[in-house]
Amino acid sequence: MQHREEKQLEASVESLASRVAHVKNALHSFIYKLENEYERLAWPSVLDNFALLSGQLNTINKLLKNEKTPSFRNQVIIPLLLSPDRDEDLAKLTEQRVPVFSHEIVPDYLRTKPDPEVEEQEKQLSTEAARIGPEVAQKQIQALNKVCSNLLEKLNNPRDDRDTETSSLRQNKPSFNPADTNALVGAVAFGKGLSKCRPPGPVAPTHPGQGPMMSGGPTLQQVTIGGGSGQQAGMGGPGAPQQQGQPGKMPSSIKTNIKSASGSMHPYTRSLPQQ
Amino acid sequence: MEAPPVTVMPVTGGTINMMEYLLQGSVLDQALESLLHRLRGLCDNMEPESFTDHELVYLLKGQQGNPFILRARRSLSHPTAPWHLRYLGQPEVGDKSRHALVRNCVDVAASHSLPEFLNEMGFRMDHEFVANGHIFRKGVMKVVVSKLSRILVPGNTENTERLSLSYLVELSVLAPAGQDTVSEDMRSFAEQLKPLVHLEKIDPSKQRH
Repeated sequence: MQHREEKQLEASVESLASRVAHVKNALHSFIYKLENEYERLAWPSVLDNFALLSGQLNTINKLLKNEKTPSFRNQVIIPLLLSPDRDEDLAKLTEQRVPVFSHEIVPDYLRTKPDPEVEEQEKQLSTEAARIGPEVAQKQIQALNKVCSNLLEKLNNPRDDRDTETSSLRQNKPSFNPADTNALVGAVAFGKGLSKCRPPGPVAPTHPGQGPMMSGGPTLQQVTIGGGSGQQAGMGGPGAPQQQGQPGKMPSSIKTNIKSASGSMHPYTRSLPQQ
Repeated sequence: MEAPPVTVMPVTGGTINMMEYLLQGSVLDQALESLLHRLRGLCDNMEPESFTDHELVYLLKGQQGNPFILRARRSLSHPTAPWHLRYLGQPEVGDKSRHALVRNCVDVAASHSLPEFLNEMGFRMDHEFVANGHIFRKGVMKVVVSKLSRILVPGNTENTERLSLSYLVELSVLAPAGQDTVSEDMRSFAEQLKPLVHLEKIDPSKQRH
């Protein structure tokens, strides 16, 4: 029986050692990559490294939980001989990390208690837990369980549910208005909503050809009767506010002015009758 | 101010028939910032250019049919730059599956006496507006985000009022006739701007009334 236990112990220690060696190698290569290739490193490869380490730690955990593994807590390691001299075999075994088995390294390597800071924190937590009493603790446990299960449910539900929720949320904040689109396109394409000459008072100075047109009266607005041309623009469409602030305007001010197309547009022929 | 088209084909004579492929949409003021950020990321890496242009649309009415429209544009932010005169034809009624509006386009630069010249030729100014915004480029594609303002006093570009609370977004490409792959590229670019903006082919003749 003891023989079997010893064998089990040996086997499990060996497998544990090999797993730990894997973790060590992975860490080693990861640190090397971080230190030397950090310019070329991309986030996905860093994530891969982390995933690898996490997987290896998982296997170690599984190994320790395995039934065949004897409980290591029952084993005690006692240093039998401490010497300040360099031990070559030990150095070779540990790849030069532990050349001397002396009084300095024993507290670190053979430690079974947690670090002092960790111990402090644990003590604080346990006093806190003892202070709040069992009912409150129970309630807190239940609340935590509920939150976790809600979260799990949300995560596990099919994506469609989530998408409909988010799409309805997004619709509350539309970023464009189709009516505005039409109004703007109309304005650019054929001047819908843009009246061309507004002012009754100061005459547009730069267009000499418009001189003869102004004989029509105080306002330059003339309702178009112009034959056949399709420029019936500016019906005061959805995007065009009323052209306000021009008191001298006739009620036809909503229509964009199309030059009265009586006769030909040629300025020379038009100016002739006026002479 | 739009640059005249750059062609890669050798100009042997006459003019190359350039077509403008166009997709339009709009974006509300509050979403403008996010749109500009997204465009800055998607488009070529250059300083986003802002522009202020004054566009006048001239009509020449013949006795029959549709009037001839010319668009004269000048930059208010670069007052000494030449004027830009553009002719846009009717949209081509090709197959409905084409994703962008296609129309014939002729661009020339002109001197500062353009308005007088057009008036002497018989054109009359139909309407004018001020466009103010940003222009982005991605390869041959040009994205223009502009705020349109109505001019209250003709000739006075200081006194303007906005047409609407949205910015107009236009995606355009100038390409020689017959290149239909262009509209595919435009459509995939437009996909990347959803859901902020829906760029689509808006037929102007359907917009009347």
